[in-house]
Amino acid sequence: MAELTDIALVTQVAVFHNKKAFDQLVRKYQSPVRRFFLNQTLGDEQLSDDLAQDTFIKAYVSITKFRGMSSFSTWLFRIAYNVHYDYIRSHHQTGDIDTFEVARQQASSGDAGLRMDIYQALALLKEEERTCITLQLIDGQPIDKISDITGMPQNTVKSHLKRGKDKLANYLKENGYER
Amino acid sequence: MNDNENILIESFFKEAALQQIEDNGFTERVMANLPAGEVNLAHRLTRLWTWFCVVLGGVLFFLLNGWDSLKSSINMLLSTILTGLDVFITTAPTTDLRLNPWLILLALAFVLIFLPYQTYRKLSATL
Repeated sequence: MAELTDIALVTQVAVFHNKKAFDQLVRKYQSPVRRFFLNQTLGDEQLSDDLAQDTFIKAYVSITKFRGMSSFSTWLFRIAYNVHYDYIRSHHQTGDIDTFEVARQQASSGDAGLRMDIYQALALLKEEERTCITLQLIDGQPIDKISDITGMPQNTVKSHLKRGKDKLANYLKENGYER
Repeated sequence: MNDNENILIESFFKEAALQQIEDNGFTERVMANLPAGEVNLAHRLTRLWTWFCVVLGGVLFFLLNGWDSLKSSINMLLSTILTGLDVFITTAPTTDLRLNPWLILLALAFVLIFLPYQTYRKLSATL
């Protein structure tokens, strides 16, 4: 039902150039897309919002290329992944520590403390591992969808997940999370 | 990686998975930054293409005697329906068919009132 609504909205945007329909799509998907970028940038809110905005603008410009072969959310996440990938390539990652410092400065509440731990744990992972791990454990995407989003073969996704989870398990044990 | 480690990792990310980010004006910023020109061009091209197809279709319809084909298709359809009805009447069971008129009325109301109303509601929700 949700996918039917998405397709109806996409049709409104693509055929009738209906901006209200696109507004609804942005409202619906802003949270998962911004959360995806927050996890990739280790909590840099400003950068996440810029990349999320870039993602939605790219989706709007190329909405006629959406063929409905996958769900709209998968298509949108694929754009988000490419936007992030392009950002990393062009900025050549000035270092996870920089973004991590930004996040540290922004964290102040108790709730932010746990988020800091999550970003600290994610900082241990390679980019691909982090993307696969967050897509699976935070965004709840199955392996075939992660493969669609990232363009990686399913076995590669599984390898990244395995390596990432091994690193995370070690980190959690070393930091007293194990009961 | 054992089951305990899997549970440990999943519970560690559980709260992050439930996190909902408030819009806080994000949608308005996106809408304000949408490029108007490129989409207008795409929209214009789409409309041009639609008109081109309509005109081409009209020209081909007259050039290829579309009217005659259409008439013969309609006649064929009508004769098929009439033949079908004829067969149905001649082979219909002689015992009374129990058709509840209220059921027929309900089915008609569903098709003529409920379906158009639902379609209208969904379309107006997206507009």
